[in-house]
Amino acid sequence: MGSIALHDVTKRFDNGQEALRNVSLTFDEGSMAFLTGHSGAGKSTFLKLLLRLQLPTQGQIVVNGVNISQLPRRRIPRYRQHLGAVFQDHHLLSDRTVLENVALPLVVTSMRARDIATRARAALSMVGLLAKERLYPSHLSAGEQQRVGIARAVVNRPNLILADEPTGNLDPELSREVMGLFVNFRRIGATVIVATHDQHLIETMGVRVIELDSGRVVRDEAPGA
Amino acid sequence: MRGEGRFRDPWPPVQRPRFAWIRDHWRVSRDCFTLACRRLWSSLLVWLLIGISLALPAALYLLQHNLAAAAAQWDGRPSFTVYLQTGSEIGVARGLADRLDAEPEVERAWVITPQQALAEFSEGLTIADALEVLGENPLPASVRATVADGVREEELQRFMAEQSAAEGVDEVVLEKAWLERMAAISDFVGRVGWILAAVFGLGAALVTASSVRLVIESRLEELSVQKLVGGTDAFVRRPFLYFGLFYGVGGGMVAAMLVAGSLGALEAPLVTLFDSYKERLTIEGMDGPLVGALLGVGGLLGLFGALIATNRRLKQVELT
Repeated sequence: MGSIALHDVTKRFDNGQEALRNVSLTFDEGSMAFLTGHSGAGKSTFLKLLLRLQLPTQGQIVVNGVNISQLPRRRIPRYRQHLGAVFQDHHLLSDRTVLENVALPLVVTSMRARDIATRARAALSMVGLLAKERLYPSHLSAGEQQRVGIARAVVNRPNLILADEPTGNLDPELSREVMGLFVNFRRIGATVIVATHDQHLIETMGVRVIELDSGRVVRDEAPGA
Repeated sequence: MRGEGRFRDPWPPVQRPRFAWIRDHWRVSRDCFTLACRRLWSSLLVWLLIGISLALPAALYLLQHNLAAAAAQWDGRPSFTVYLQTGSEIGVARGLADRLDAEPEVERAWVITPQQALAEFSEGLTIADALEVLGENPLPASVRATVADGVREEELQRFMAEQSAAEGVDEVVLEKAWLERMAAISDFVGRVGWILAAVFGLGAALVTASSVRLVIESRLEELSVQKLVGGTDAFVRRPFLYFGLFYGVGGGMVAAMLVAGSLGALEAPLVTLFDSYKERLTIEGMDGPLVGALLGVGGLLGLFGALIATNRRLKQVELT
């Protein structure tokens, strides 16, 4: 339930700038890949296309056999309910507690309050923040906020996890723990795509690496290649 | 995939527990109520604006309703009263009544004795005591008559002029004229009420729309995150519809209070005014159905305003 195929995808903005150029890639269900490249290489645009926050100018993005560019508007929420997204700038709600932030993806599905709390606490426990469930994001460090974002991304047991620099604010040990969390989700069938600059992580994790430069794929290495 | 016959949805809807929607609505309404109470000052201002917008048409409706009711109380046949000069003997009145009864323009004529006149005059007025102080009844006898069918306006006017000139007659007052005017005023007020209801109703909806729009703008980050994690349009829109409903119903309550308060202040002078025309006025004020209608209309206008605001804005909300 997590296969992805990009066919000749180009994303051109209104100002004429091309963020992605003729990108064709496939990701098998349960696979994990790092997306790397300099700033402006097209990593974030790549993730936004998969999140259906933007539409490609040309080409197709097929997830689980469905071209998501042609998803009717009313079906986009259901698609996103099966995704988990982590952002570099967290996008946490400042007037909600840590627990409420993590619970949000479950609240939108109208799950029972008791089940929501149980699952949100389990996700917080995974990132080591259970003790801070009642705090507000402003009371947390940048690294802790990042972990709350990660807990929110995985709380609904998504088929596809998309993470934009998820370890940017974490120390090396915590970065490895978070990656371990993603690997575990990959083992239960989720596809994981992580955009990162962290060369150490890329070299030590032993997963597929896709490098973008000016919107083009310049490297696509499978582990052990 | 769509052309391959059976299409299996790769993203099945998350199973919702039974009655989940009731819980959702309860949660959202509670959150909205809490938030509106936290912004009590701005909520009060919105209620007041909507309340004033609804109060004027509601007041005009009540006025028109009361005028129509007063007109309906009248039996529909014109009548006139011949007031005799002060000090006239009752026999003069009886003679006049007999004479009028014989006229083809008159259907029936009867005497109003000074005592009856005093009783009518005193009814509902607080000056009765003052009249008692005078020691004697200053009111003259009069003759009231109903006009026969088929009498034309000009014939009636001529007939009344003749009676005015008769010896011992002080004044002849046609009772129909002001009722006709009242019916015309009632019709006019009714029409003005409908026009104002449409204009001010639109105003109330726009006030709600701009207030809800402000709430939306203050929660853009939250909305974009909700959409990112799979919140449907209905889910994202719901709190704002409750805001609209809350503002509208609150505005309806304010309108009901304003109208009831205004009626309370105007009732006594209006009754006095009607009594001066020898007509009894029973003012129909705010009752349950009218209050319910104000709350309902306010709520609907609030919902409508919120829909305008959300439909325009929420489609544009996405994380960038």
